[in-house]
Amino acid sequence: MAAAISSDRILKELADLWVSLGKKGQEEAGAGVLRACTMTLIVLAEESEDPAEWGETIAALMPEHPARTIHVRLCQERERALSERVYAECWMPFGQRRQICCEQVEISVGDAALGDLPSVVLPLTVPDLPVILWARTVRLLGMPEFRAIASMARKVIVDSAAMPDPADAIRRLDAARGRGVVLGDLAWTRLTRWRETISQVFENRERLARLASVKGVAVNYGGTYETSARLMAAWLADALAQAGAAPQLEVARSEDVPTLRVALEGEGLRVDLARSDETLLVTVNEAAQHTSLPYPTDYLVMREELSVVRRDPVLERTLSSAARLAYPEGK
Amino acid sequence: MPAENPFQDPARFERRVPECVVVIFGATGDLTKRKLIPALYRLAYDRRLSAGFAVLGISRTPLSDEDFRGRMLDAVKEFSEDTKFDEDVWRSFAEGLFYVPGDLNDEALYARVAAKLGEIETARHTGGNVLFYLSIQPSQYAAAATHLGKAGLGKGNGWRRLIVEKPFGHDLQSARELSDRLHEVFDESQVYRIDHYLGKETVQNILAFRFGNGIFEPLWNRRYVNHVQITAAESIGVEGRGAYYQEVGALADMIQNHLLQVMATIAMEPSASFQANSVRDERSKLLRSIKRMSPDEIRQNAVPGQYGPARVGGADLPGFRQESGVSPEAQTDTYAAVTFFVENWRWAGVPFYVRTGKRLPKRVTEIAIQFNRAPLAMFDDGEGDDEPNLLIVRIQPEEGISLKFLSKRPGNGYKLRPVSMDFNYGSSFGERSPSAYETLLLDAIIGDATLYTRQDMVEASWNVVQPIQEVWRNTKFDFPNYPAGTWGPEAADEMLARRGHVWRTP
Repeated sequence: MAAAISSDRILKELADLWVSLGKKGQEEAGAGVLRACTMTLIVLAEESEDPAEWGETIAALMPEHPARTIHVRLCQERERALSERVYAECWMPFGQRRQICCEQVEISVGDAALGDLPSVVLPLTVPDLPVILWARTVRLLGMPEFRAIASMARKVIVDSAAMPDPADAIRRLDAARGRGVVLGDLAWTRLTRWRETISQVFENRERLARLASVKGVAVNYGGTYETSARLMAAWLADALAQAGAAPQLEVARSEDVPTLRVALEGEGLRVDLARSDETLLVTVNEAAQHTSLPYPTDYLVMREELSVVRRDPVLERTLSSAARLAYPEGK
Repeated sequence: MPAENPFQDPARFERRVPECVVVIFGATGDLTKRKLIPALYRLAYDRRLSAGFAVLGISRTPLSDEDFRGRMLDAVKEFSEDTKFDEDVWRSFAEGLFYVPGDLNDEALYARVAAKLGEIETARHTGGNVLFYLSIQPSQYAAAATHLGKAGLGKGNGWRRLIVEKPFGHDLQSARELSDRLHEVFDESQVYRIDHYLGKETVQNILAFRFGNGIFEPLWNRRYVNHVQITAAESIGVEGRGAYYQEVGALADMIQNHLLQVMATIAMEPSASFQANSVRDERSKLLRSIKRMSPDEIRQNAVPGQYGPARVGGADLPGFRQESGVSPEAQTDTYAAVTFFVENWRWAGVPFYVRTGKRLPKRVTEIAIQFNRAPLAMFDDGEGDDEPNLLIVRIQPEEGISLKFLSKRPGNGYKLRPVSMDFNYGSSFGERSPSAYETLLLDAIIGDATLYTRQDMVEASWNVVQPIQEVWRNTKFDFPNYPAGTWGPEAADEMLARRGHVWRTP
């Protein structure tokens, strides 16, 4: 792979890119472009995946999380790395004349050469800024090269909902956590607005006082939400245990649509959360309230994950509990 | 009961917001319609308010709860500039809107308010927490507070807080009197004096910029800073508020509160922590360090102005004295420029030029910190390329920070040119910035007074502004002294020129 791709050449191409962008900006708008960068974002995706799908997400993320993006395309069939490409993602802030640009590097690599990936990618990372790895392909987690690739990054973001076996997915993530990998899981991120709403319900002192009486927790799910549902149940169980409650947990598939429904029941207390289009309906006893709940697009969940560039103790605790719930015998 | 909410996740969740009722006096007024309700709706839209959150509107106009909801719906649709209207969110929000009509001076009104608050507390579990917002004439603040006290509304099961809008008095004496009246019912810790400038993202960012970075603070003193310019320019005139503005003027309307608070934020010492009182102690200390000028010094260091008629952009603009409700002999300052000095070790001798005015060429608010030139002009090629470094903090319309420095022009020889390194909030953080009222209302609900003005700060500001007011009141100026659409009177330029400085053109 080292013969096919030279980090020095890519870095020179990046430097040339900025010179040409600067000239172009001067000619077209009378002002150079601004370079913005807060991190290196490495995106690992299968070659078969349509780049337009995640490309739009990256473009949308750049204004808030400007990054040098290194897109690694995994080609299962090929033995060696094939090519690299350098280009820029630019946008014109509303009402301004000057463009803001971020760098993008695209590298194709065969499975057999994955072990060489860190030696090519590490010199391309922006010094002194965090490196985030977004593993869009779940296949990577099962590969022997995963540890070396993950060690390049301060944080590794995966989507456990894309893994075929939810219980196994949780176990694998928990194992990675145990090895010290700082994780982000988009199946967990999709729960943030739900969790925040539940938390907000118990900011009320009267309801907080009834928390210990919670006897039943039901998390129903549909579509690909099984992993999220398991994480939600584990998180609720942890929090309720802190409050002195030991409720009966029920996690069941009961919806055809890909979403959740969460209910907590205790003495004089019933809390129910359900999605209705882009709205979350929260019912506390008889009182109902609607709040906006946009569908958790890749852009929205990645936007949140890139804002938490450190260890997430609540996720780690929840993964551990969810793994115990999935494998009570410790298998 | 658990001592803490076990569901909290501070790394991912927004700040915790308690249940409460916001009681707005002046609920049919402009501020409620344009700012307060759109800000609260936005907070609801962003799930920042608790489920039981409620608003109780109070005004003289006889309205039912439903009428009030209808009016507020119109306000949200018209004035929520960058918020999608969501029918379901509105319905939930509107269920928490209530209204009580009545005269502020009628004691019976406060009994009805107390009864309504009791009903809301039972129905919506607000825990007795109440935030009173006085969006009424400043002359009514004291009376409203007294009535609240008599009705027993200053205390309750939960917390009670009071927000008042500026002006906080019209001089030092009246500011103290107002404060004393408010303190008869509410402790100082319960009084939130709102200054919407402090809620702006960039003004808050000044603290982050200064105290979150290690590289600027060592330069932030008389040794490296040559002078500071604070400009708050408005392109509009008095817009139908001539009668009110005639009594206030630019100095009291802008400098006494907004701009001195901004100056204090720029010049204050680092606080020991980011606790509200710790930050406010430092801001207050700075305000108390501003030199109170003698009449002679005021004549040298303060310039009033008033705009005259002019033709701008093909339109004839009236002068201030031609505005509706304004006396043809008015001596009101529609422009004010003052050189302040801070008497402490950090800033001794550094002029802080502060100016504000109406009918200036454009709407812009910014702070420019001009650093000393390099001690030796070794590159000076006589082409004026020895410009000093400037750090510009833009507050509006585009929030951001720019650093201007010199760079070698490409090519042979050493010719320098100034270049600008820009940080723009809109582009660097694509996220929408909350409006100042969203920030400040949420802070008050949470009980964070960091961005609110304390009484000692109000008094310290009046202490330096009042002598200027007195000199100006006793002087007959040859107004108008600047045409609409220009950067103010020549005397303001001369004030800087005496120290070898010039106003920046923002």
